[in-house]
Amino acid sequence: MITFMLNGHQVVFNGDPQTPLLWAIRDEFKLKGSKFGCGAGLCGACTMHLDGTAMKTCVLPIAAVAGKTVTTIEGLGTPDSMHPLQQAWVEHNVPQCGYCQSGQIMAAAALLAANPDASEADIDTAMAGNICRCGCYPRIKGAIQSVAINTLGYDAMAEEAAS
Amino acid sequence: MSTQILSRRHFLKSSALVGGGVVVAVTLPGCSFDGELPIDAADTALVPNAFLQITPDNKIIFYCPADEMGQGIRTGLATVIGEELDCHPSNMTVEAAGSHEDYNNPEFGLQLTGGSSAVRVFYEPLRQVGADTRALILAAAARDLGIPAAQLSTDNGHVITGDQRYPYGDFVVTAATLEMPTETPVKDASAFKYIGTHFARIDAEAKATGTANFGIDVDLPDMVYAVVLRSPVAGAKAVRFDDEAVRRQPGVQTVLPISSGIAVVADSYWQANQAAKKLTVEWEDVALMAVDSTQVRADLSAALDADDGVEAASEGDFEAGLAAAANTQSAEYFAPFLAHAPMEPVNATLRIEGDRADLWTGVQVVGAAQGLLERLTGLPRENIRVHNQYLGGGFGRRATLTHVVEVTEIAMATGKPVQVLWSREDDLRHGVYRPASLMRLEAGIDANGKVTAWQAQRAGGNVTPETLENALPALLPSMPDGLLGGLHGAVEFIFGNWAVDHPSVEGLYETYSMPTHTITHTTVDHGLPLTFWRSVGHSYSGFAVESMMDELAVSAGLDPVALRLKNLEDKPRMQRVVQRAGELMVAMEVPEGHHLGFASHSSFFTDVAEIAEVSVTDGKIRVHKVTCVVDCGTAVNPDTVRAQLEGGVMFALTAALYGEIDLDKGAVVQSNFHDYPILRMDEAPAIEIEIIDSGTAPTGIGEPGVPPLAPAVANAVFRATGQRLRELPLRLA
Repeated sequence: MITFMLNGHQVVFNGDPQTPLLWAIRDEFKLKGSKFGCGAGLCGACTMHLDGTAMKTCVLPIAAVAGKTVTTIEGLGTPDSMHPLQQAWVEHNVPQCGYCQSGQIMAAAALLAANPDASEADIDTAMAGNICRCGCYPRIKGAIQSVAINTLGYDAMAEEAAS
Repeated sequence: MSTQILSRRHFLKSSALVGGGVVVAVTLPGCSFDGELPIDAADTALVPNAFLQITPDNKIIFYCPADEMGQGIRTGLATVIGEELDCHPSNMTVEAAGSHEDYNNPEFGLQLTGGSSAVRVFYEPLRQVGADTRALILAAAARDLGIPAAQLSTDNGHVITGDQRYPYGDFVVTAATLEMPTETPVKDASAFKYIGTHFARIDAEAKATGTANFGIDVDLPDMVYAVVLRSPVAGAKAVRFDDEAVRRQPGVQTVLPISSGIAVVADSYWQANQAAKKLTVEWEDVALMAVDSTQVRADLSAALDADDGVEAASEGDFEAGLAAAANTQSAEYFAPFLAHAPMEPVNATLRIEGDRADLWTGVQVVGAAQGLLERLTGLPRENIRVHNQYLGGGFGRRATLTHVVEVTEIAMATGKPVQVLWSREDDLRHGVYRPASLMRLEAGIDANGKVTAWQAQRAGGNVTPETLENALPALLPSMPDGLLGGLHGAVEFIFGNWAVDHPSVEGLYETYSMPTHTITHTTVDHGLPLTFWRSVGHSYSGFAVESMMDELAVSAGLDPVALRLKNLEDKPRMQRVVQRAGELMVAMEVPEGHHLGFASHSSFFTDVAEIAEVSVTDGKIRVHKVTCVVDCGTAVNPDTVRAQLEGGVMFALTAALYGEIDLDKGAVVQSNFHDYPILRMDEAPAIEIEIIDSGTAPTGIGEPGVPPLAPAVANAVFRATGQRLRELPLRLA
């Protein structure tokens, strides 16, 4: 039995502790925003926050999150109450197929929470683990920069703690 | 008993259709569903045609006939129909159309999304539907309000009279009693309110919040999950398998042989995935097992050496043109097999309940999926619904329906709702591929750079026969297997021996005016499944032609842009694109150590020129910036045009720098993103785009950004290093 905080709620997982967090979240907790892309920690489509840090969850056994805090794209913001990065994604028309974008946004949110004034080089480094096959990179970068520049008092960590 | 001997029986082939080029330009009788529209509507709602539903509370639903795989088509076609209906696309609810002949691509006569065709072919029909429906609403409003229609106007889903605004929904009950107007005049372009303007993609919010539904996200009560172990070498059937260890794994429900391999069915995907690793299977021997990548390359060379290709196009006297040339060049260019690697691995979810079947998936061929289900289940077509979801990338991959065959066989065998999900390894190793191609070009130019002779020979596999083989069972659900086999055999023989499959040679000369040209083709097919891959034949022909144009310019000491312009004198649209790109190139400030390369290519009726700014350090090619100039006619959503060019450049750059599928004993070597790398953000160039709007009808945009990129980079690398790279992916000596 593994207990952890998921998007602000305490939850319990009773299955195989070796189950990757991604599959527990998708199939057990029915949150489908985090995606399966490679199953090997290579593409970042499954990125969530573990205690505020971006993690690739397709290779992370759920046993590793016992007692910790997990945030998924659903916990970051909703259509009615979007995170500033999600708003920026819409304003920059970032998504094409959209499949990787939950992971991209989660990686970007963790970056800006730790480094609100992230430089272009910081963004390149932090986002290099997330593949976008549609090639939306210039827009992803532009959207992140628009939030990084206009931090607007935004504090992703505080938002997560409050959610 | 855990070891099962499989008999050799005839399994249905998977189904595939089109991903890129124009393939089936004739209507196959009986391949489209012509029953009731697959639309759920209340009695009080207006369904004036297959594309629209307007409810009394003014919900305006547009059933989009093209599949959204990232190219922005839901926004694009909503813009087209919304322009004439007079409703902002963002205020419409856009849903994926079900299967029905009314949604057929008018050019293909099939319900498919491919060939960068959707905006081009639906532009006029959907404007007409929008205009006629608006006229119907106005007629109903005139009757209900007692005001002549001529005194009414519309704005964003409302009928306007004086300062009164009435939602369209107020008039749907009356509208349903009136005859649908036809041939209502459509707007002049000068009156467009939405076409050509900028607004957010209608799927942007859902895709930014994780709420967009992809096929993989479908979750049904009591659903089981299946993974399939397939032969490492394409086409080999299982001879025997041992599932004893598998059946002891947690969550496993059953193990069963299906046409494509051995399916492991479990309570969750993860359990199925883990359990399948315990499965041992013996596969039959097939001819492809004797093939590796060096063999493919040698066979392509030998085929061109034989010099007995089938003529695809020929005009003028090549030898005389060569004799008249001031400068001649000949060279050989190679492009490898490639996988599409969409981010969402293919998947399908099927529920068969009584005499009804519901399929959730994301495919480029909704009608074919329905036909395939009809064939496999024997259910009446009207009882089969295909619920197409957002596609997590397509690029041609999602026109092949192997996963639909698999889910159907498993659902029929287990009697349960089932989801089949491929892993990334499955995707790269058991997919359908862009054919490897070897091209030999020989050309001559006169002193001014005008091409006097042009010859191009291509050897490689064809995509159409393979595609037809896979598609026919779906398109002709009631035709017996034997007849289908005969039909396919005939097609394969024809393309292998007499005729040339157009996608195999497209783009080898058409961009320019080349009065003297000879294009020949030799089919070399090793048995690896092949299909359309973003920009299809242009993905390799553009590389060969645009590299050769550069080689000609360099050898003659001519400016590469001037040389191209010289050969575009009766292609004014492309000439303007090249002219403009040349102006931008001249004005560029190029940092020390950076070099520019130029290429231009016409495909899918669209003209594109690209300039790559490249540096080479320690043998590593770095592309810093790509500048694109495009003319795709009317840009319905200019920002989508930009996005598609950006995406096309990135997709092509991945192929140019890394893309390679290798065979070892017939099996695909690459397995995941560590050995089939995709461009990442820290390698992505800046992109600048200039759209020239010639005001003509819209043409393709999903694919045309791809072909010029690799040659633009290669031409820049030549300037940086003096090395002429004639093989993809680009590797310095």
